[in-house]
Amino acid sequence: MDELILELKHEIIKALNLEEISPADIGDDDPLFGDGLGLDSIDALELIVLMEKNYGVKLTDPSQGRDIFRSVRIMAEYIQAHRTK
Amino acid sequence: MLTIKKYSYISPQHAYPLPPHLKAAMAGGIDMGKLYRSLAIDYPKFFKMDTLSKLGFLAAELLTAGEEKGEAEAMNDRSVVCFNKSASLEADIAYSKTIQKENFFPSPSLFVYTLPSIVTGEIAIRHKLRGETSFYVSPEWNAELLVDTVRQIFAAGASQSVIAAWIECEPDSFEAFMMLIGNYAEGLPLSAENANELISDFRIHNIF
Repeated sequence: MDELILELKHEIIKALNLEEISPADIGDDDPLFGDGLGLDSIDALELIVLMEKNYGVKLTDPSQGRDIFRSVRIMAEYIQAHRTK
Repeated sequence: MLTIKKYSYISPQHAYPLPPHLKAAMAGGIDMGKLYRSLAIDYPKFFKMDTLSKLGFLAAELLTAGEEKGEAEAMNDRSVVCFNKSASLEADIAYSKTIQKENFFPSPSLFVYTLPSIVTGEIAIRHKLRGETSFYVSPEWNAELLVDTVRQIFAAGASQSVIAAWIECEPDSFEAFMMLIGNYAEGLPLSAENANELISDFRIHNIF
């Protein structure tokens, strides 16, 4: 799980062009939206694309993202349980 | 009388006005990321922008640097009007590359920049401007069109000041020329001749 969390942090930084952020800056349980990384709705869409492209996880209901993207750890747990690649 | 109070310019070779301590750092050419960091701006969204928006963002930073709060009384209704010839071509090309493969994954963050008018919104958001924002595509720099458009904004009573700019991005080059226009006691009288002269100073006479 720790390996997937670290991989996800790298992927999020790359996909969202978070050039001033390093994986160490993102706490496993930090909120990704709001007070955390300050991501916006376009970033949420980009994360949905990232999950499908890299792990074959398709969110049929975008509102699921609200729960799944609460933190990198929760995102990793969801991917672990639903990944197809 | 409407005047061009201040102006800024960015090209691959130069940026104006630069604080004295940055002139040496930028002597080798303008890298937008480096310029952003050198200006000590804290606005992480910059890195998510396309090149056109980064260029407009930086030109506006140089233009409004040092603007005092009292001086910015007109900012609340300040308008932003921009022109170029290639619209959002660079972002369009980048986005189209994400939808060419068989099982493609279109990028939402690239898609949002496939409209040139986004740059006017980025500037307005950054500086909390609530005036009109508009973007026009013209085959080439056209000072008469720019000045006429700005005069219409003032004639409509929509704003007390206007940021007007030519912001062009091509795959291998870029240019931003931005002016702050309003009823100021200082500056050059607003005219196509003066706008042409200013941009020529940068383009041809290399005055920085």
